Amino acid sequence: MGSRKHERPLSPNIQIYRPQLTSVLSIANRITGVVLTGCGFILVIWLVAAASGPDAYSQFQRIVGSWPGLLLLLAATFAFFLHLCGGIRHLIWDSVRAFELKQIYASGWTVVAASLVLTLLSWVVGMIIAGQN
Amino acid sequence: MERHRIQTPLGRAVGLGSAKSGFEHWWMERITAVALLPLGVWFAGSLIAQSGSDYRTFVAWLGAPVNTVLMVLLLITLFWHAALGFQVVIEDYVHSDAKIWALLAARFICFAAAGIGILATLGVAVEIWTAS
Amino acid sequence: MTKTDAYFIRSSDQVPQRSLFKRYPVPHNFGVSPGSRIERGRTWRAPANATRTKAFEVYRYDPDGGKNPRLDTFEVDLDACGPMVLNALIWIKNNVDPTLTFRRSCREGICGSCAMNMDGTNWLACTRYIDETDTPAKIYPLANMKIIKDLVPDLTHVLAQYEMIEPWLQTKTPTPGRERLQAPEDRDKLDGYYECILCFCCTSGCPSHWWNGDRFLGPAALLQAWRWLIDSRDEATGERLDGLEDPFRLYRCHTILNCTRTCPKGLNPGKAIAEIKKMIVDRRS
Repeated sequence: MGSRKHERPLSPNIQIYRPQLTSVLSIANRITGVVLTGCGFILVIWLVAAASGPDAYSQFQRIVGSWPGLLLLLAATFAFFLHLCGGIRHLIWDSVRAFELKQIYASGWTVVAASLVLTLLSWVVGMIIAGQN
Repeated sequence: MERHRIQTPLGRAVGLGSAKSGFEHWWMERITAVALLPLGVWFAGSLIAQSGSDYRTFVAWLGAPVNTVLMVLLLITLFWHAALGFQVVIEDYVHSDAKIWALLAARFICFAAAGIGILATLGVAVEIWTAS
Repeated sequence: MTKTDAYFIRSSDQVPQRSLFKRYPVPHNFGVSPGSRIERGRTWRAPANATRTKAFEVYRYDPDGGKNPRLDTFEVDLDACGPMVLNALIWIKNNVDPTLTFRRSCREGICGSCAMNMDGTNWLACTRYIDETDTPAKIYPLANMKIIKDLVPDLTHVLAQYEMIEPWLQTKTPTPGRERLQAPEDRDKLDGYYECILCFCCTSGCPSHWWNGDRFLGPAALLQAWRWLIDSRDEATGERLDGLEDPFRLYRCHTILNCTRTCPKGLNPGKAIAEIKKMIVDRRS
């Protein structure tokens, strides 16, 4: 054994590995989970505002109703549906079903499409209701 | 650079041995997930129905017993699920001494948030109940 | 079914020709230790008389030079070499640079020696057509492995993890005087699991193993664990489950399913791991 100057290098992993629906939806589920926890904190602030009285509540509403607030709410809606649908997909896997590769891809794209549709639908319905209020 | 101890490959792979646990965490993540399906759909539906509503409509809605109970259940389940999820995320990515502190902080923050949220919900509910 | 359908994968041998991103949007040296950073290597031109050529970017590492890994470019004369990526590597070794080092043996996808990362996914070089590779083709060793030389990864640790699941029949009943009997339907349960050739494409492609490979057993070892858990002749099921039930050894699997996507034998490590988790549920409830 000769004297090795170098520790053996580690071959690249995330730097070269191709993004695939499998890993992309997995990391998306994780990111949306973190985002939704953030939304959980906002929910708590909302409830505290409601408990504090009309002034605090209207201030909270003003912030959420602003353009950046609405944009974040839109992102949160998508995160919610992606995590919900992705979660259902995981629960199905946990019962050892739908593990064939074509089922993995079919359910994956279904999750993406369903999340987009449900987000759009929620906002259309929400805006109609908001218009009536 | 970390120096390797002189150790057999099997000794290194075995490490500290099996914890013979891990099921409870995994199972509770699934239980809270299943519970969050109806609670999440209820919450999202209510939120859409509440679009553009003012303070009085909102507290009246939250103060209705069914909604109060569901909101408290949502807060418990949501932050329980989040605490379990964050634990995995931290264990996955944090490999320094900060790991143990991050794990504690994640737990504390999630439990505190749930506690505050429940208290605020009950505060609103009590106000509505005593007013009527 | 078209083999080149990029977005809907029906079997693991489908090669995506197009995809939105060829790699994750992270910096090239994201989380890479200084000694593992890849430098630009040299380019070896094709022979002057070659008419049909293709460039191959190949990961090189020389353990003797004390230098970092590098990426060499080889222009391969396609008319002078066979159709597979392994043929191209052999052509390079024979005609251009005899120091290029890689493992190969059977050249028909049964030994698992030539597992490597081609265009960002793990597969066997002997069963991947040159026609199906990008231009230039990007040839790296299996992802996330300590590298001995060039495309030769050190498999010591993943083999130790395989050893950990004790991949042999364990019994307490005294050895019978004849063969151990197994019902045909019990034997059928091993199908889809016993065929693993230990190429470690799956374990090397698993992000969870990238971040926690020291403790997470990885899909290859866990697929084999399941193969022994469901062997009706085995009498150590309980002990095997005890050894697996651990937040890292088993439960670090997050069902990402890069393993099932990449298996060159079309096996399903992700499903095997889900079966193990379900078996633990059954034992508990």
